[in-house]
Amino acid sequence: MGEWSPARVWRSRVYRYRLIAGRCRSCGRAHYPPANACPYCGSRDLDEVELPRVGRLVSYSVVYATPFEDRDRSPVVIGLIDLGAARLVAEVVDVKPGDLRVGDRVEAVFRRIAVDGNTGLIVYGIKFRPVRVG
Amino acid sequence: MVYVTGVGLVNVDRHYDKSTRRLAFEASTAALESSMAEGVDFIVVASSISYLHEPQLDLASYIASSMGLRGVRSITVECGEASGLAAVMTAKALIDSGRASRVLVVGVDKLSEHPSWRVYRNLSLLYDTESDAFYSIGLGGIAGLLMRLYMNVYNVDRLTLAYWPALMHQNAKANPYAMLRFAITPEKVLEAQPVAEPLTLLDTFPLGDGAAALVLEGKASRGALAEIVDVESATGYQSIALSDDPLKIESLEVAYGRLVERTGMGSVDVVELHDSFTITGILILETLRFTERGKAAEAVAQGVFSVGGEGPVVNPSGGLKARGHPIGATGVYQVAEVALQLAGEFPGLKVDGARSGLVVSINAMGSSSYVAYMRAVG
Repeated sequence: MGEWSPARVWRSRVYRYRLIAGRCRSCGRAHYPPANACPYCGSRDLDEVELPRVGRLVSYSVVYATPFEDRDRSPVVIGLIDLGAARLVAEVVDVKPGDLRVGDRVEAVFRRIAVDGNTGLIVYGIKFRPVRVG
Repeated sequence: MVYVTGVGLVNVDRHYDKSTRRLAFEASTAALESSMAEGVDFIVVASSISYLHEPQLDLASYIASSMGLRGVRSITVECGEASGLAAVMTAKALIDSGRASRVLVVGVDKLSEHPSWRVYRNLSLLYDTESDAFYSIGLGGIAGLLMRLYMNVYNVDRLTLAYWPALMHQNAKANPYAMLRFAITPEKVLEAQPVAEPLTLLDTFPLGDGAAALVLEGKASRGALAEIVDVESATGYQSIALSDDPLKIESLEVAYGRLVERTGMGSVDVVELHDSFTITGILILETLRFTERGKAAEAVAQGVFSVGGEGPVVNPSGGLKARGHPIGATGVYQVAEVALQLAGEFPGLKVDGARSGLVVSINAMGSSSYVAYMRAVG
């Protein structure tokens, strides 16, 4: 992200922390993050649904070309995650990139996203980590 | 009817000594001189990342003033990586509606202005900041995971996908406006440093500065290079995560369908398309149905899209990969290159006898897509 604003981070806290998706009452499909209208059918008749916190890794990329502020944790793993009702793109943590496989089960964890030194803002959100077997 | 009557190109490179305005001026002057136009009604400026790299709001009016066009009508168009073709669409609408008879379109952006880590952060803003770009996707995070998905779904190996950048580098060798004018082997692509695995540095565009300009007119003057028959566009999903089929660029499929319907266009001789990453180029070829799904990389390796192949010839300029990709300027470069091909005047790899052309420009992985159909004059 570019500039983090405290108001913007505050506005999104509920759906980000709790993985709240929008659900269309017209076509029944869910989408994350919640939008003003259904991205599939355009209906504005929406309610909300809490997404499951465990899903599967559909694909991932190991990103080395990261911004300066993320260099201390580079490479960053970015995953496409299927939570059943909806898919989302999110960071995958607590794993060596070489140990990751498409199809792995992953679970949501609450993590720090960014620190803005200028405003003193610490941004939190959901990342995913592999579900440990056994 | 809208005709390209003049083009001006600045070679894509690291122009540390030139400002955004200077680059725009050089391209514009060249375009106006080549068209022999006297005065323009409108200047439409395409620029995107300049707002972050050499910050200036209301850019078009400052560019117009700095090149001495006092009193001209001006407007800035920002549509991310698709800004250039969106500006051409805007200019064409001004001419079609009768509001203007001659329009200068200039696209300009600089990527060498800051250290690469800052450029990576700013480029991630081309993606949706409320979803994908909330995370540190850097340069190519989304393209990388699409590439892995493509390889898994269609069982295509990494080396086959490396024939795309090799072809782009081969094509760019003769293009005096290209940033990377040297050949590479497909094997070299795999050995390059990883950017967003599985894609490497040689699957991405170089960080360069550039400007390109066009003079567009409603009448075919004697020196007209080509006709822009129509430009179409469509918006798409804000994230690949919302798509049931992320290996198809839905906004492009819609825009291209509209273009075909409006113009009745059939096959074309030359295409300039948006290969911001190897996988982007491959997905565009398949979305346009130039090959079956999952077969485009193999077709590229077999020379289908090279000069002398079954065609069409794709990216004789070297594409974003090797010509370069100064974000908001790229669509203007593409239209200029196709116009020169159709006039038989392209100074690099020529497509002999080309009569029709297609330009494809998209933002990110298809938040929006723009397509233009062009024809030779006469």
